[in-house]
Amino acid sequence: MSASSQTFSALLPGDVSDDSSKRALLAEIDASCRVPVLFFVISGLLWLLAGTALALVASIKLHSPGFLASWEFLTFGRVRPAHLNTVIYGFASQTGIGVTLWLMCRLCRVPFVAPGLATVAAIFWNIGLTVGVVGILIGDSTSIEWLELPRYCTPILFFSYALVAVWAIITFRLRREQHLYVSQWYLLAAILWFPWLYATAQIMLLIEPVRGVVQAAVNWWFAHNVLGLWFTPIGLASIYYFIPKVIGRPIHSYYLSVLGFWSLALFYNWNGLHHLIGGPMPAWMITVSIVASVMMLIPVTTVAINHHMTMWGHFGKLKHSPTLRFVVVGALCYTATSLQGIANSLRSYSEVVHFTHHTIAHAHLGLYGFFAMVMFGSLYYIIPRITQREWPSLGLISLHFWACFLGLALYVVPLSLGGILQGLAMNDASVPFLKVVEGTLPWLKLRTFAGLLLGLGHVAFVGNLVWLLARVFGPYRKPVVAILMGAETAAVVGK
Amino acid sequence: MNVLAILMIGGVLAVPGVALVALRWASHRGELNLPERAALLPFDEEEPVGRATDQILNRQSAES
Repeated sequence: MSASSQTFSALLPGDVSDDSSKRALLAEIDASCRVPVLFFVISGLLWLLAGTALALVASIKLHSPGFLASWEFLTFGRVRPAHLNTVIYGFASQTGIGVTLWLMCRLCRVPFVAPGLATVAAIFWNIGLTVGVVGILIGDSTSIEWLELPRYCTPILFFSYALVAVWAIITFRLRREQHLYVSQWYLLAAILWFPWLYATAQIMLLIEPVRGVVQAAVNWWFAHNVLGLWFTPIGLASIYYFIPKVIGRPIHSYYLSVLGFWSLALFYNWNGLHHLIGGPMPAWMITVSIVASVMMLIPVTTVAINHHMTMWGHFGKLKHSPTLRFVVVGALCYTATSLQGIANSLRSYSEVVHFTHHTIAHAHLGLYGFFAMVMFGSLYYIIPRITQREWPSLGLISLHFWACFLGLALYVVPLSLGGILQGLAMNDASVPFLKVVEGTLPWLKLRTFAGLLLGLGHVAFVGNLVWLLARVFGPYRKPVVAILMGAETAAVVGK
Repeated sequence: MNVLAILMIGGVLAVPGVALVALRWASHRGELNLPERAALLPFDEEEPVGRATDQILNRQSAES
């Protein structure tokens, strides 16, 4: 053991060689994650509610422009980026970090090291984001898509993220399981990729801004990679862990999972420039991006085959497991949004759908259908274990799932079709532009209705969580429910 | 502009470059030679292969 490993090992409890110790360790790992993971997750869900409210305001404004038009901080140009940033950095990043922390501890077989470090990171992340979102609403947006948070809040976010990365490296160094599961590959990659992406984009766009079309190139390199190299690895890591765990069966092919990871690592970061098809960019840069986008067929296909074959013969378990329902829907959406993204990257297809609502549908199929659904499923698994309490209401779980599922379908399908019709009409010089805009109104109204359904699902989820937490921290604490864990573990926890 | 081009191309090459280095590291450690062992890593004595978990929606009612 190296000197650094010995230093870190001093932070851990003693050896865990016998079986009873291993079982005790599992319960200890879950219990040790409680404060930091809950902090990130609860913060993330509160930002989800805020982001949903902002999304609804923005969506209503698209078909009823007079809605809340008398307040400048609620104009579309401010509400829309505020929605995007609350959801990306508030909800998705924080729940993603929360799930990452738990998965890392579980797979490294170590209790949570230095929970104070992660909790401080969460506090600073929320302070930085609050400052940033308020900044957007008062008019300080940078106007760079996906990087609208004002420059004065980003050092706080970066400091906070650095603490999370340090924590992850320490935990990895302390791992008791020497071999890595594929989920760890994805998580470690995400943890190292995100600060590199974020720092590069901040430097090249805000601190020492590049000029002209290079700004657009850097912007879309960042925006696309945040999806593919930050959220996607965390989402896929969760799917690779939770599907086998819930159905009690190892993944169909570990080789395929490794191939999927490495091909994502090699191809994804070249994809972003396909957003600039038709723009004043060197043609070779766009072409390289299109080729890399088509190469994404390799990781997408391997992941799809692996997930489907792992589930084969176990689809009946979807009826009984909320985790499985959300995660499997998320996995299907990953395949769908990836194939849609490959199609979007082709010049002939992009000529139609570029600058239409089809792009919005695609983004939501990816970030919501895939990532958010997988996170919801993961939280249904993790939270009962770290709080040692069951979910209080099965009805709210079902309401959450069906509201989100129907809301997602009503959002993505009509906007995708409407976007294609919109694009075809825009490419027809005989159709007046006003006619094209009027033609989108039915789709936009459906979008608002879908957003209301999604909001209903979010309220049901947060309500159930608040109810559960009231049982954990409130005056009428309930005993540990045996269904969560083996009897021996329950006994260990009870000691 | 040359500096920018170097920065951008270097940046784009960095991810696959680091990925290749990590792939070599993984290969040397034997991470790619243990598929069956690695596939079992999410399981343990408490939640072994063959035991489904999280089957909570078949409960008659929530615990009170």
